[in-house]
Amino acid sequence: MTVIEAKGLTYTYPGGTRRALEDVSITIEKGEFVILTGPSGCGKTTLCRCLNGLVPNFYGGKLEGEILVTGLKVSEHQIYELARHVGLVFQNPENQLFALFVEKDVAFGLENLGVPRDEIRKRVDWALQMTNIENLRERAPHELSGGQQQRVAIACVLAMQPDVMVLDEPTSFLDPLGAQQIFDVISRLNKELGITVVMVEHRLDLASRYSNHVVVMDKGKVVLDGEPKDVFSSEAARLIGVGIPKATRLSQVLEMSGVRLGRVPVTSEEASQVLKEVLSRD
Amino acid sequence: MSVFDGLRFRRGSSPIHQLDPRAKFFYVIVMFVVAVLFNELLPLVVLFLIQIPFVFVARVQREWIRSLRGAAFLAIIIFGFNFLFTYLSGQYELSYVLERSFAMSLRFIVLVESFSVFFLTTSPDHLGLALEQSHVPYEFCFAFTTAVRFVPVLAEEAQTIMDAQKTRGLELERGNFIKRIRNYIPILIPLIVNAIRRSLELAEAMESRAWGATEKRTNLYVLKLKKSDYVLALLSILLLVLAVYIRLFLPVPQLGVVLRI
Ligand SMILES: Nc1ncnc2c1ncn2[C@@H]1O[C@H](COP(=O)(O)OP(=O)(O)OP(=O)(O)O)[C@@H](O)[C@H]1O
Ligand SMILES: [Mg+2]
Repeated sequence: MTVIEAKGLTYTYPGGTRRALEDVSITIEKGEFVILTGPSGCGKTTLCRCLNGLVPNFYGGKLEGEILVTGLKVSEHQIYELARHVGLVFQNPENQLFALFVEKDVAFGLENLGVPRDEIRKRVDWALQMTNIENLRERAPHELSGGQQQRVAIACVLAMQPDVMVLDEPTSFLDPLGAQQIFDVISRLNKELGITVVMVEHRLDLASRYSNHVVVMDKGKVVLDGEPKDVFSSEAARLIGVGIPKATRLSQVLEMSGVRLGRVPVTSEEASQVLKEVLSRD
Repeated sequence: MSVFDGLRFRRGSSPIHQLDPRAKFFYVIVMFVVAVLFNELLPLVVLFLIQIPFVFVARVQREWIRSLRGAAFLAIIIFGFNFLFTYLSGQYELSYVLERSFAMSLRFIVLVESFSVFFLTTSPDHLGLALEQSHVPYEFCFAFTTAVRFVPVLAEEAQTIMDAQKTRGLELERGNFIKRIRNYIPILIPLIVNAIRRSLELAEAMESRAWGATEKRTNLYVLKLKKSDYVLALLSILLLVLAVYIRLFLPVPQLGVVLRI
């Protein structure tokens, strides 16, 4: 089933001189874990904003083309209607937490929707548990570390039980270990709950093992779109400067020096598997 | 700054902290009204004393004393002005003038005292909830709690900017009064720009979490008035009735006269 379908999206911010998006078309199926990547300023955040209606409803301007998210035409629905289906987690966790303590923040979206109190209680507990932060429920946001704040931000969106979760560089403020933990949480939501994930990410080394669909953008356009191994091994990805996973890079170097590997590894486990096979071939 | 120090909430779990903010606010209003009803020293001393048990039950003595110390300066000014003008009018004898002036500054202290007990024992989120349940528009309550939430963040940011500007050679403590104020401009501008950017991001995040989806917002928490809240309200009403009765029907003696007897 198709959850997100964009056709020919073109958008310029009001007062902007350049097109932030240019003829973007993508299709995302239910349950996919999509990584969206590309150089700075290429329009990744703008595309995320299209997915929950911030563009054009909040930012104004005209969005050309068509985008359907869970069957809803984004331009014809209010942001709060879309919020039931699409959750957006922003880059800076600090500015998306506005309550005085965690539990209240996680409840915020449900309160806005007018969900009955017992139901809010249940869903808040569930979201805290899924993101492993039950122990933080009484804390104030400024008493939390970046990684904890980021998990709270995820819980806030998760509590609304969206079909799609869009995360805009959820680990940009974190060290590699913190990033790993966030990826594990997101992957769990993807696998166990079947939530479709769209994640903007630069740390492909860490993130690509969870993904089954990679989209690369450049200058407002989608330049590559497909399975991780195909995208990462393409020449275009290297030229744009996408941080290709080391395992894939290694295989490219080996191929260039004449070693036939047979398939393209993305994670280090796959790489070691492939190398073992090659070594035992003789 | 120190007056506000006394007004800043710290976590606690005393019976006073557990009281409903609405009941406590009612008590503050009553204190306020009663303090304004009297300009004699004796009843104001009584008002001052009856609040002290609250302070000790809530275990906020230290903060409370700090708030009083902060208020002392203003109290002295109030005393000075009252003394000067009543004495210069030449209609009263000195002991009366002294007592009256002292009463005026004590009235101010009593007001600070009751407000500080209120703010020292009421968490901002309880206060926000109480506002919401008192049918204050939700936008206003939200603005209030969000402001409180960002105070520490902005304070930290101000410190960072200050340090950054100092390393670039900005000297804050230099020059005369006007110069010193102007020294703060390179700190205020980045602070304000940052705050505006932050507020845009906040607005985006709020929209994304269904802000404004329905008129009938629900709330995870409800404040319920408990027995102790009713007791406090009842005591406040009694105090008010008693005060009005004394004001209308009984003469209030000068404290000096009472003590001499
Ligand atoms: N609020 C805005 N108003 C005007 N122009 C904007 C706004 N936000 C982004 N842009 C412009 O739109 C283009 C795409 O920006 P966008 O933020 O989507 O890029 P990005 O891929 O998310 O970059 P980064 O990796 O740095 O986050 C850029 O040229 C940017 O200058
Ligand atoms: Mg971005």
